[in-house]
Amino acid sequence: MDGTAGTAPKHAQAQAGTPGRVVYRHSVATRATHWVTFVALIVLVMSGLQIFNAAPYLDASDKSDPARRVLSIEGRDTATGSVGVTTVFGHEITTTHLLGYTDDGQGGGNETPRAFPGWMTFPGYQDLAGGRRWHFFFAWIFVIAGGIYLIFGGVAKELPLIILRPSDVPKMWPMQAYYLRLRKEPPDHGKYNPLQKAGYTAVLFVLAPFVIVTGLALAPGFDAIAHPVVWLLGGRQFARTWHFVAMLAFIGFFFGHVFLVVSTGFLNNMRSMIAGSYRLGEHEGTGP
Amino acid sequence: MKRRIFVASSMAAALAGCAKATNSLNEWQAIRPALDSAETLDHALIGTRGSAKLYAPSDITQDFPVNGLATPTQSEYLAYLQDDFASYRLPVSGLVERPQSFTLAQLRALASLDQITRHDCVEGWSVVGRWAGVPLGSFLQLVRPKPAARYVVFNSFDHDQDGTQFYGTLDLVQSAHPQTQLALDLNGKPLDAAHGAPVRLRIPTQLGYKSTKWVKSIQLVASFDHIFGGQGGYWEDNGYAWYAGI
Repeated sequence: MDGTAGTAPKHAQAQAGTPGRVVYRHSVATRATHWVTFVALIVLVMSGLQIFNAAPYLDASDKSDPARRVLSIEGRDTATGSVGVTTVFGHEITTTHLLGYTDDGQGGGNETPRAFPGWMTFPGYQDLAGGRRWHFFFAWIFVIAGGIYLIFGGVAKELPLIILRPSDVPKMWPMQAYYLRLRKEPPDHGKYNPLQKAGYTAVLFVLAPFVIVTGLALAPGFDAIAHPVVWLLGGRQFARTWHFVAMLAFIGFFFGHVFLVVSTGFLNNMRSMIAGSYRLGEHEGTGP
Repeated sequence: MKRRIFVASSMAAALAGCAKATNSLNEWQAIRPALDSAETLDHALIGTRGSAKLYAPSDITQDFPVNGLATPTQSEYLAYLQDDFASYRLPVSGLVERPQSFTLAQLRALASLDQITRHDCVEGWSVVGRWAGVPLGSFLQLVRPKPAARYVVFNSFDHDQDGTQFYGTLDLVQSAHPQTQLALDLNGKPLDAAHGAPVRLRIPTQLGYKSTKWVKSIQLVASFDHIFGGQGGYWEDNGYAWYAGI
């Protein structure tokens, strides 16, 4: 899409230089930690589902309490065969093949009573000890990559641009209206638009710390040195529920993020996160 | 329709391939030391500090569950069970100045730790129970560990289906934690066979698999490298982390 300079919206010219010009958008630290985090999150989600499978239910309580169960995923035998049943806040949903009675992960296509199917878990077959090994290793990778991003990629350049400020809040709806094609031009903004700032600020400074703390709260050794944290989360089993909710939020973020990467110039976006360079254009600042 | 079947079957193949790929990675031995480095970090940072939360009697879980291996069935254990453990002795040996054996009556006389704590299972569930028994730290002072002693080995009466004996280990820091105990009672009654009679370990600052049931003998050692699988416990020999504070 070369030669769009003449038709680019004013905001891009004002805020981000000449459209069509290639700029250096993401530092090495940002790019490297982005992809390391991407891999870590995949392994963390899959090994987390493996760990979930060992006790496939979630309680809103301190100790386990079936009376305060918010989710359970189980296999059941019926007169017509085995079924998978997912119970959410007391509502039963038949989820055979997808949840509850699913692929055993051995690679032979056999099904067994099992909350999440083999292709969703790491490893595929039931192995709690293995799942924990991968989960705790990549939890460290996640934390270290986040730390490196904040220190090397973030503090100096990126953070001031990416943190949501009070002045961004009134621009969030106009930006959403632009995305929904209710408005021709986005509101004025810098490298990141108000919705990007809101999303990244939420993930970096709310969701990531939350997923770390709720995970740690499951550890009896951590509980022994930080009771108030576990108490604030509603207790140990409640922390397990929150940790699961945080995972769902990450998956939601992932799909929203990928949708925007694809819909705002996939190749240009990928180039900027792999090689660093990015061609300015009418999409500048409206990306993923 | 054919196209739909083709799409569905290729998706199924891709998904099966996903499980096979993660299974292969899981069995890749060369990466184990890297993965296990996380355990070293967790042990260094979290360790055995602070104290597990204490609960009120009203918090105790009703319908107390049984988990892990089945109750021992070997004749030696069944004989003790028959005579209510009257002839049971708990020998403490290895790197100690004063190796000796304890009767159940002697252990009861030392039982000064009565606490209501939460038992966190590695599977993800938890129960609250009241365990009473002997604080392990002061118990070990009676036998005086030698300077070379680093680990306490708890041998169990229990065996798995293949005949492998159950055992577990703690280091001296974990053993000396004031909440670590040789439990004799659960919820006000002597332990029953299913819950580890006559003596079980209870360490509420770690996951349940460290709390060895049916303790048959105790041994102090400098290293567990040459005991059974060499990983410091039955579950550890089966892939679980030795440090179970997380």
